[in-house]
Amino acid sequence: MTRTGAWVSAVIVAAAVVLPGLLIAVTGGSPAAALRALIQGSLGDATAVSQTLLYAAPLLLVAVGACCSARSGAFNIGQEGQVLIGALAGAAAGLRLAVPGPALLVVVLLAAALAAGAWAWLSALMNRLRGVDIAVSTLLMTFLAQQVVAFAVTTPWLLQESRLGAAAALPQSNKLPSRALLGSLGDHPGLQLNLGLAVGIVVAVLVAVALDRTRWGFRLTMAGLNPAAARHAGISVTAVGGIALTVSGALAGLAGAVLLTSPLSTNRLQPDISINIGWDGLLVALVARNRPLLAIPIAGLFAVLRAGGNFLAATGVPPYLVDVVKALLTLAFVAPAVLRRRSVIA
Amino acid sequence: MAPEPALRLRGITKRYGAVVACDGVDLTLERGEIHGLLGENGAGKSTLMRILLGLETQDSGAIDRDGRAVTITGPRQAAALGISMVHQHFSLVDPLAVWENVALGQSGPVRRAAVRAGVRAAAERYGLAIDPDARVGSLSAGERQRVELLKCLRRDPAVLIMDEPTSVLTRAESAELFAVLRRVVAAEHRAVVLISHKLAEITTATDRVTVIRAGRVVLRRATAATTEAELAREMVGREVTLGAAVGVLPHAPAPAAPASSQAALRLRGLTTRPGLDDLCLTVHAGEIVGLYGAEGNGQKSLGDVLSGLTVPDAGTVEVAGAPVDLRRPGALSAAGLGIVPEDRHHAGVVLDLSVAENLVMTRLGDVSGRVFVDRRRLRRRARALADEYGITAPSLDSPLRTLSGGNQQRVVLARELSGRPRVLVAAQPSRGLDVGAVEDLYARLRRCASDGIAVLVISTELEEILALTTRVATIFRGRIVGELPTAQADAERLGLLTGGAA
Ligand SMILES: Nc1ncnc2c1ncn2[C@@H]1O[C@H](COP(=O)(O)OP(=O)(O)OP(=O)(O)O)[C@@H](O)[C@H]1O
Ligand SMILES: [Mg+2]
Repeated sequence: MTRTGAWVSAVIVAAAVVLPGLLIAVTGGSPAAALRALIQGSLGDATAVSQTLLYAAPLLLVAVGACCSARSGAFNIGQEGQVLIGALAGAAAGLRLAVPGPALLVVVLLAAALAAGAWAWLSALMNRLRGVDIAVSTLLMTFLAQQVVAFAVTTPWLLQESRLGAAAALPQSNKLPSRALLGSLGDHPGLQLNLGLAVGIVVAVLVAVALDRTRWGFRLTMAGLNPAAARHAGISVTAVGGIALTVSGALAGLAGAVLLTSPLSTNRLQPDISINIGWDGLLVALVARNRPLLAIPIAGLFAVLRAGGNFLAATGVPPYLVDVVKALLTLAFVAPAVLRRRSVIA
Repeated sequence: MAPEPALRLRGITKRYGAVVACDGVDLTLERGEIHGLLGENGAGKSTLMRILLGLETQDSGAIDRDGRAVTITGPRQAAALGISMVHQHFSLVDPLAVWENVALGQSGPVRRAAVRAGVRAAAERYGLAIDPDARVGSLSAGERQRVELLKCLRRDPAVLIMDEPTSVLTRAESAELFAVLRRVVAAEHRAVVLISHKLAEITTATDRVTVIRAGRVVLRRATAATTEAELAREMVGREVTLGAAVGVLPHAPAPAAPASSQAALRLRGLTTRPGLDDLCLTVHAGEIVGLYGAEGNGQKSLGDVLSGLTVPDAGTVEVAGAPVDLRRPGALSAAGLGIVPEDRHHAGVVLDLSVAENLVMTRLGDVSGRVFVDRRRLRRRARALADEYGITAPSLDSPLRTLSGGNQQRVVLARELSGRPRVLVAAQPSRGLDVGAVEDLYARLRRCASDGIAVLVISTELEEILALTTRVATIFRGRIVGELPTAQADAERLGLLTGGAA
């Protein structure tokens, strides 16, 4: 990192710490108490840590997928929608398919990944056939995904919950059977290590190996860095980008299934089940500079902010302050790289 | 009292890890002079200039501008100090128009009409014909160079740095450029630094010359008091046979293997719009054919077709008698066609991948199994190529970006020549190479031909064509307008042919 770059980072990190503190003080709270609450809520005890780890899993999955697509040059920014589609497909599979035993969980996860992968692939297709910009179409498809999920959970013959008696049905699906849910790893008093995180870490390692060690990863990286040189080397840039986009969609979909089947949700499909994990995961990848292994600790950091932020909100501090911190931290990591690139061009 | 020099560098040192790019360099730049800067590939010329522009910070040493010590923190500030540079590699934005590119570097509001008028006026004043509305992506290298120069001159710099500006220009274009530079120093009293690997240019176009070797100044002299032979000797540190650098290479030796009758490369009716117009050309195994013509007559389009970057509107490419499906990525390379593209930053290299990866990237299969890339095999092969082609790099794992311009070119050459192709297309292959490397390149190309490879050299340099080829075809407006054995070719005949007179 250049010297100016380091300075810029330091200043922004300082701002990330000081600015929210100021805001809290101005609104009449105590910054120190808020910080304590943030840490208490995310790392304070076994329950808090469990909560943080729960958040880390889907964040990591989304981020690892984003690493793939960003590296290939096919920028996917529609993860929020892909998470939703994943949750939708996972719910449909879990509620409709008569798969016996815990195999149902596997089917739910696979269905989510497949559906969201196909969803993202549509953007690659539009790009290929009509030259539609991938960033734009993945983003717009997010709004479509929100409509689709809202429709599904308000339409009785689709996924809306069945109600006995007179009570009106809510816009949500039935609860998934417990054999389709992600369990905890091992048995620790108070501490829950949800299987979702294991899935996330395994996927991160696999993708890291694929990107850095395989021919596929080499081609993908090359296509992203210099499409012309890649074509010259015999690589079909559109095909490689399409695959990367599909993989990234599939991993976002997997994140959606993890949300659906872990204690982060009520294990019902609800329109807001994605809780902005898609957007945050994108930030994780950005801060991790598209490196899946680096995304593991960064996802942890963002999970801390999320779990702590929820706790903080319970103490009366406006929750958007946590978003301010998140945004500033992201900037702190991203700004130096952008600045450096600019000075090279000038 | 003599006026203070425009720029004085004292003891500039810059290290990159173990590499000492500049080692206590002293350099004085007077107003109203063109100062030549010479040195082998990787000697540290560009690094020194980047320090002047504030793109790098020296580890030690000082810079005086008009006698006052200055610290240069970036290009903005360098511009404010009146220092401006045309980089070794183009820094233009392809999808934008010429005037937009010119406006990019300036601060403050941009007024389209004013900028366009400014471009026209400057173009007029310096004799740099260019259409302000043309899209930069469609321009030839020579035209792009003009845009770069205009961009600089519009900032009204007191010190103008030109890093290998002529490597992409024809001889006539270079002469024009020197005339412009002369006007700039004589009438407008600016100072110019000119970096070039062509000794003849240094001796004709500069007033004083500084030679650096491995980061140190080894010679500083008035140009009139030196000779090309001395400059070459100082550059490499030993006696050298002057060849390519001064354009007195012996005539191409007769090909070792007589050109066989088998056509290794056959281009039939290639047409791209714009660019090529029904181009037909045949290259036999074992011969070196030159494609000669002024920049901008379709060479770039031909290179793009042969790199697999564009699919022609009409026409076919046959390698060893079999037509190649140009729509399939990598089909040409699979058919055995290797190419050294003209603009290596565009399609030749990936700047952010390592040197080793760049050395193997078109032949990944050779260093990997079905799924995994074998890092050890990759490194071994890269090491062998780097040694064979004399590539100096901080390390094989450093990004290609950190190599000097000439060493980047060597990477492309090493990769494409070592691929044992059936057909080798080399577009402006000696661009950016130092004297020694050019001779080495020529020897290698000749060896390729005698090994039975069909070699097509696309070049705008007459000396290169005459020195290297056995047959020369001339290109004009996307067509082949003449063809003759090199033995019968001379400047005049080729000049007539490339003027489209044939
Ligand atoms: N960012 C960097 N990191 C490491 N090494 C570098 C970096 N930039 C330049 N170098 C090294 O410094 C040395 C000098 O490079 P420089 O580009 O100044 O050479 P040059 O004289 O311009 O050569 P050429 O004629 O090939 O353009 C080279 O060995 C190069 O590899
Ligand atoms: Mg250089």
